[in-house]
Amino acid sequence: MKIVIGEGSCGIAAGAAKVYSALQSRITAQDEITLGVTGCIGMCYLEPIVDLYYEDGKLAHRLVRVSPSDADAILDAVRAGDASGIEKLIITKADEGFLSQQTRIVLRHCGVIDPTSIDAYLVEDGYKAVEKVFATMTPEQVIEEIKVSGLAGRGGAGFPTWFKWNAARSAKGETKYLICNADEGDPGAFMDRAVIESDPHSLIEGMLIGAYAIGAHEAVVYVRAEYPLAIVRLEEAFRQARARGYIGKNILGSGFDCEFRIKAGAGAFVCGEETALIESLEGKRGMPRLKPPFPANCGYNQLPSNINNVETFANVAWIILNGGAAYAKMGTENSKGTKVFALTGKINRGGLVEIPMGKTLREVIFDIGGGIRDGKQFKAVQMGGPSGGCIPASLLDTVIDYKALGATGAIMGSGGMVVMDETTCMVGMARFFLDFTTKESCGKCVHCRLGTKRLFEILTRIVEGEGKPGDIALLEELCTTVKDAALCGLGQTAPNPVLTTIRYFRDEYEAHIAGRCPAGECNALVRYDIVEDKCKGCTACVRVCPVKAITGAIKQPHSIDQNLCIKCGSCLTACKFDAVVKA
Amino acid sequence: MSEITLTINGKTCAGHQGDSILHIAQANGITIPNLCAHEAVARYGACGMCVVEVAGNPKLVRSCSIDAADGMVIQTNTARTLQARKIAMELLMSDHEGDCVAPCSLSCPAGTDCQGYVKQIALGDDRKAVEIIKQKLPLPASIGRVCPHPCEKDCRRQYAEQAVSIAMLKQFAADNDLASAEPYRAALAAPTGKTVGVIGGGPGGLTAAYFLALAGHSVTIYDAMPKMGGMLRYGIPEYRLPKKVLDSEIAAIAAMGVTMKNDVKIGKDVAFDDLRKAHDATLVAIGAWKSSAIGCVGEELPGVLGGIDFLRAVALGGKPDIGKRVAVVGGGNTAMDACRTAVRLGAEEVYVVYRRTRNEMPAEDVEITEAMEEGVTFKFLTNPAEIIGKDGRAAAVKLQVMELGEPDASGRRSPVPVKDKFEYLDVDTVIGAIGQKVSPIGFEEIALNSRGIIAADEHTYRTSLEGVFAVGDATNKGASIAIEAIGEANRAAGVIDSYLKGAMAAFAEPFVSERAVTDAVKAMIAEKPKAARATMPQRAPEARKHDFAEINLGLAEEVARAEAKRCLECGCHDYHDCKLIECANLQEIHPERVAGEKHEGYVEQALGCIERNQNKCILCNLCVRTCDEVAGKAILGLVGRGFKTVIRPEFHDPAVIADCANCHKCADACPTGALKILK
Repeated sequence: MKIVIGEGSCGIAAGAAKVYSALQSRITAQDEITLGVTGCIGMCYLEPIVDLYYEDGKLAHRLVRVSPSDADAILDAVRAGDASGIEKLIITKADEGFLSQQTRIVLRHCGVIDPTSIDAYLVEDGYKAVEKVFATMTPEQVIEEIKVSGLAGRGGAGFPTWFKWNAARSAKGETKYLICNADEGDPGAFMDRAVIESDPHSLIEGMLIGAYAIGAHEAVVYVRAEYPLAIVRLEEAFRQARARGYIGKNILGSGFDCEFRIKAGAGAFVCGEETALIESLEGKRGMPRLKPPFPANCGYNQLPSNINNVETFANVAWIILNGGAAYAKMGTENSKGTKVFALTGKINRGGLVEIPMGKTLREVIFDIGGGIRDGKQFKAVQMGGPSGGCIPASLLDTVIDYKALGATGAIMGSGGMVVMDETTCMVGMARFFLDFTTKESCGKCVHCRLGTKRLFEILTRIVEGEGKPGDIALLEELCTTVKDAALCGLGQTAPNPVLTTIRYFRDEYEAHIAGRCPAGECNALVRYDIVEDKCKGCTACVRVCPVKAITGAIKQPHSIDQNLCIKCGSCLTACKFDAVVKA
Repeated sequence: MSEITLTINGKTCAGHQGDSILHIAQANGITIPNLCAHEAVARYGACGMCVVEVAGNPKLVRSCSIDAADGMVIQTNTARTLQARKIAMELLMSDHEGDCVAPCSLSCPAGTDCQGYVKQIALGDDRKAVEIIKQKLPLPASIGRVCPHPCEKDCRRQYAEQAVSIAMLKQFAADNDLASAEPYRAALAAPTGKTVGVIGGGPGGLTAAYFLALAGHSVTIYDAMPKMGGMLRYGIPEYRLPKKVLDSEIAAIAAMGVTMKNDVKIGKDVAFDDLRKAHDATLVAIGAWKSSAIGCVGEELPGVLGGIDFLRAVALGGKPDIGKRVAVVGGGNTAMDACRTAVRLGAEEVYVVYRRTRNEMPAEDVEITEAMEEGVTFKFLTNPAEIIGKDGRAAAVKLQVMELGEPDASGRRSPVPVKDKFEYLDVDTVIGAIGQKVSPIGFEEIALNSRGIIAADEHTYRTSLEGVFAVGDATNKGASIAIEAIGEANRAAGVIDSYLKGAMAAFAEPFVSERAVTDAVKAMIAEKPKAARATMPQRAPEARKHDFAEINLGLAEEVARAEAKRCLECGCHDYHDCKLIECANLQEIHPERVAGEKHEGYVEQALGCIERNQNKCILCNLCVRTCDEVAGKAILGLVGRGFKTVIRPEFHDPAVIADCANCHKCADACPTGALKILK
């Protein structure tokens, strides 16, 4: 029997490493049990996850929300071949649906193979695509295959991958660079980290094919320094791949050379913008350059360069092995293949979801994600992080497709999907994202540096109850102009959360300016009161109030001093008689 | 390089492959606003001002940074580009902390460049100082003597000790210029063949005539009085403004070719309509020459005079019989002029009857002091209830005793009668100096406002009649100080000039950046080394009160030069050469609507040769790029992210700073006043 523990950063954060140690310390020499690790399966809400495999490699049981104290029971069950003692840990049918409804290409090995072992990758047809390319395809044929697949950049912009590759291939110059953008910065997006941590060789293989296609002999992975485990796993994968001849000189006897290296980014969101990434790679301050010239002609070190993100590269080997046509069969008219989403927020089942383009938001959020937590109502989903926009309930049947999502004012983006329920204030949500973009603006162009700051300030005064008539129009004017005139994608998209929330939730903005937060989330605009008829005078609220704002004798109705109240909501939670009301 | 041709704003423009759109536009005489572009350094594209629309490109294009391509069709001033620039400027100015113009200039109703001329006086160049003054005000010797100098009210030197005595310095420079062999004279524009009739030869009319003549128009001033000067001549006593000073300043205007016709009363000697038809444009600057009534019983009695009527009679050379005891009613400057003139005419007891206290008096404080020195008795908190006659002539005033109540609309505590409490003052003459009214007789065709004053547009000074403009005391708010009329006349002259050239352009107040005078700013100024304000040497009260000779003796040269050096030079050194403020005035902007936090500002002299004022920095990065790419030093760099980004010497490393070559190239490249070369 083999016990495999999901050790992505997320699993480790949930306690996977402790589970591993607990199991390891209890396994004796007599046990015919091997212990292994895998990456992230993508079911964040069930971590830590432990998989029990039969000797033939078939999955026997998937155990979820495992804690170190479950170790003895698990080992007993394995030794006895009887799972009755660990039934409560076995994944439910409903939770299995989270995976079974997905179509996994990018994530095909994630949570399945051991990311620290090249052999595990090779068993799964690893590096077969590279072999096929070197043996049978010219660079032009590779580009053609990618063109047939319809693969588009998964980092956010959705630009056709073949076009960029072709431009870089056609660019004049001996020295060219292939760069992987692993500076995954959108709050709430973590698919790229999952791929590197769980399946690093698939990234390397995709990049190798790309390097061959454009004629680059140096490949750089720009990983954010906040992903230490990804860096460790990728470095180990480089080492193993080099040892097996997949990296270096004359790869697989093809005569093609390619070296790989990592550049750790220092955590600036704007470095996810390709020209700022190049500046950073060159050792300069991460600030965008003007395009044109495009990186394909004048990129890293002013030489032809091609940049794709992790998820894009992770599709490449599959496309080469299965054919571009097979990939293009999935999806819609203008969006082919699959897309990985990081489903988070007020959702029952959060995690990584890979589905073919063309499914609806409703299918992802309700069928796969299991709907809204705590029986609350779905309100909106924020697509594409701070650069994206929100989509309201009325548009839940929008299909996932670059064009259809764009029409809503949101974007596909890198695949962040933050689900919000009725208790989320949409003005506050827009403000949250503007806070992020204001801080992450590089400071170069006026419209972004000052425009996002002023938008944030106006949103702040609105949520603080100091909004003025005319503020909505001012927000719209500023947003429109900042989008139009900012230098790079950061500034050009930063207003999206504001514009879409105004578009779909204008009444919430108006309510705030009139002195009310409909979601009850903005402290300055809510008040707590005690309903005299319902109050039994139990003093439960008095005891929890941290500022002694509640007074009243025992068995007498209490009252809240509004001048002292800090609106923490403790009284509301403490009251057993629904006597405290929030308005 | 191969030649290319593109179309910009419909004009065919030639350029070379590799040129930016901005470069080709400028080479072809098309201006595209920009702040961060500079030919000496690599393309950058931060400010967003140079955006244009290129046919076929859905995005706005930064013209400074994009190669022009053959056949491109470009529009530089579309609604979209103008909006992008407007927001860029509003955002930049909302984060720009500095004074374009010194507060004294902003407080001056005529906008004289006080800092500019005070600086020239400090440098010893009085002629240059007068040249600067005369860009706004053609009567500096006269106005320097009589102006209540609102400029000094906001002078920041007061936070160190006292305001700079700007008015005295103006008089000093102007007197020296007049006394010089060749007083300053501005060059006249070529004659336009247009004529302007100016009705009223007071400060407003004279000023308008001056600037219209400068612009090449043929100007005739018509005045009802025997001589030009208006209230400066007939309202201000000789001891404050000797008429020979006024005469020489008027003579200088006449020397410019301005025709001056006196003793012409409109409606009597000439019909307004005829005069109007005789000129291409007409300016009405007739002032407010009617004394307001005191409003009590007995004021119709002989022996009761109006303040300005009294002063005019004296100015005309008369010696009104005022007897020995005179009561002047009112607390303004006219009341002071009247009481002090009465003293000089030989009255033995002169009283000022004023219903509030000294604190509330609108007259200049120095005037009150001087009147007291000359023996005038102030009856504060009294108000005439009745002028009692005897033998058909005023003989006494019954004074209602007052006390101060609640503040009124002006913010001053309003006087309230104390019931049944009266005083009596035996007098020979009562002079009512409580205000002036407009008497628009002869101008019946011009529409008046609800207060019976000529209505003139605030931006064009146009009246209800085509081609007829009006300024000064006769318009809108009514009587005010001379410098107000002068400011209006200067601006109206600009409007009239544009009108005569066929496209009337309203006066628009230029946008300027102003710094808030916070406690921190005051505290900083308070730390300056102290230097007391100069005082005007005067004739002793006993000597001066018997004649009409000028009481002020003028500043001594060394005193004036030292006084001028007290100026803190609050206005930006770069105002006249600032690309930022030029851009801010391209369209109407309202930075206040996006007002918010300002970036961390600081002033430092770490580089020794350059003062870097980060309050004014707009992060165009030209200093950083110039230091790196032109000077080859790379001493400066961007620090921090987003809104908190500032420019600092790299790493604040003394070794890096020491590498500065003192080349000033950074300061030369700065488009605004953030970098100042230290002498």
